[in-house]
Amino acid sequence: MISPEFSTLVTLVFYALASIVGIAGIMARSAFWRRLACFLALCGFVCQTVLLMLGFHKALPGGLSLGAYLQLLAWFLLLCGIVVWGKLHQETLLLFSAPLGLLLFVMSAPYLGTLVTVPASLHTPFYVLHIGALFSSLALLALASVAGVLFLLLEKRIKRKQRMENFFLDMPAITLLDKINALGTLLSFPLYTLGIVTGLLWAKSIFGDTGDPKEVVSVVIWLIFAVLFYSRLLKGMRGRKAALLTALIFTLCLFSIFVVNTVMDTHHTFFRLSSGR
Amino acid sequence: MDRTLFLLGINHRTTGVAVRERFSLANHCDQEHWAVPCTAAVQESVILSTCNRVEILAAGTEEAPEQTLRAWAGATKTDSAELKSYVYVYKHLDAARHLFSVASSLDSMVLGEPQILGQLKTAYRAAVECKTTGVLLNNLLHRAFFVAKRVRSETAIASSAVSISYAAVELAKRIFGNMSMRKALLVGAGEMSELAARHLLQSGVSEILVANRTNAKAQALAEQFHGCAVTFENLTNCLAEVDIVITSTGSTYPLLNARDINAVLKLRKNRPMFFIDIAVPRDIDPDVNNLDNVYLYDIDDLKDVVEENTATRRDEAIKASAIVEEEVASFARWLSGLDIQPSIVDLISHTETIARKELDKTLKRLGHVSDRERAAMETMVAALVRKLNHAPIMFLKRCGMDGNAAHVSMLRRMYSLDKKACPARKNRNALLYD
Repeated sequence: MISPEFSTLVTLVFYALASIVGIAGIMARSAFWRRLACFLALCGFVCQTVLLMLGFHKALPGGLSLGAYLQLLAWFLLLCGIVVWGKLHQETLLLFSAPLGLLLFVMSAPYLGTLVTVPASLHTPFYVLHIGALFSSLALLALASVAGVLFLLLEKRIKRKQRMENFFLDMPAITLLDKINALGTLLSFPLYTLGIVTGLLWAKSIFGDTGDPKEVVSVVIWLIFAVLFYSRLLKGMRGRKAALLTALIFTLCLFSIFVVNTVMDTHHTFFRLSSGR
Repeated sequence: MDRTLFLLGINHRTTGVAVRERFSLANHCDQEHWAVPCTAAVQESVILSTCNRVEILAAGTEEAPEQTLRAWAGATKTDSAELKSYVYVYKHLDAARHLFSVASSLDSMVLGEPQILGQLKTAYRAAVECKTTGVLLNNLLHRAFFVAKRVRSETAIASSAVSISYAAVELAKRIFGNMSMRKALLVGAGEMSELAARHLLQSGVSEILVANRTNAKAQALAEQFHGCAVTFENLTNCLAEVDIVITSTGSTYPLLNARDINAVLKLRKNRPMFFIDIAVPRDIDPDVNNLDNVYLYDIDDLKDVVEENTATRRDEAIKASAIVEEEVASFARWLSGLDIQPSIVDLISHTETIARKELDKTLKRLGHVSDRERAAMETMVAALVRKLNHAPIMFLKRCGMDGNAAHVSMLRRMYSLDKKACPARKNRNALLYD
């Protein structure tokens, strides 16, 4: 029998190794270490996929733990990094996804025993769609943000004519980073919209018209996201401005998850919903 | 010798591009506008004005540097006091050493780049056409070309094609990554543009467009690289199609400014553009770099990139410096030889005159002498003079190599080669004990 703690431990080891080897590869400018880090991250991802599926089956009757939600987010993030690695032959983003995945895993550890008990009344297709769409959207947005931040760092050096050293020498070209940022943003927005709409409809059907703070924050984020999406798609917004806006939206999403969910009185206050294990 | 060698200049190490473009002599290297006219003080001159350096090599009296500086300031319509604050001056063998280093590309922004040798040859050709070179500079410049050839063949300093244009193409890769979908525009069909085009093609750009004020030149270059020539008037319009723009024209004012590029960016929906301005004076307004999605590098900005490449060539540069030193020593010997040459000529002439007089006297005394006997006597006298002169000439040459002018002076006194300088008969004893 595989416990959630064990699944976390195995995946954690792979992601930790991938992070350490990846950072070493970046610092030492070793292609071998970087490639090895990517394979370790891939092993961790495969392991997490299998064990997460087993974990899901176990969790379904009682609901998911908060830790499992964070692990799910890490899984989506790694998936995006692996897709970019496979499709665009760019390992840099996967090398950054691994430490982020590791961070989410470390954060998930204390909450693995904290079940988010979803009432039977909330078990609707809207709920699955809401969670699935938002998590995949967030993972894509995280990937776009990593690409955006890397773009900003590299672009700043090029603009200011600073010397390219160590880590910067192996970074992808800025147009490629911008392309990844654009892809992440353009794919993330429809999913985010789907997640928000299903969430709003679901909340309205369950709680009625409540004016929940989480809903307000989410709609504000959606509006900013819509501006970015529109500007990217139709106005030809590129480069620095787009990268900054993506990073801002992702930061607001993190604020929404980690501050609004835990501090404010909303339907997403998991601690109040949780009943312990 | 009454002439001394001087080298005055500014280069990429001592001044920025803004200073170099103000004091550029690129338009003062032809017969009509030669910046340093020959005078009693400045008897020979060669002007080397490139994007990385402006240097004047001169031979003349002690006043030559001051006069050259004034002429330079006059040609560029600048203040000579200000110019003086930027200029370095090398004298005599230091000037030769610097020139050899420049020719061998040891002083270039990119160590070992071959371009400077071509520029130096062009500068020398212009000086020869303007008749501003003499024995000293002719010999020095030919030696400089020889040193450059030795350095290139005996060291690996120029083993890989590294240059400003190559560094620029490397930067383009950092911006665009895969270059196969990129179009490039060369503005100016000079040597620099050719190099850039070659590197761009090697990196895989899909198409090269060439714009030049002289359309024939643009077409010739475009054909060479299977590209297209565009008219200079159409320059702004074709910017919307290209991703990389390399400018290296001789224009004295900026060809492109931020407003032009901003309009172009709108047309191309903010797709990034990379401008490489390797011209001095600059062809592109520096404000262009402040625009989003536009990256502008001028000749000085490429310095950092170039330094990385330079590091790998430093070991070879040590070998090259040793060659330069050998050749400086060789030049020094030649210079010393130049100093003793009049003494040798005087010695031979003096002894031949004495021999001729004595031969004539002897022939008179003998009366009738057959032609055969006369020829034999002349041959004997010539051989005698040659053999007697051999030892003092070798002594003079050794003195010349050692730079021992006192021995040369003594020999001249011994043979009374300087009639005026020779002490009077009454001081003869004093001379013996001097």
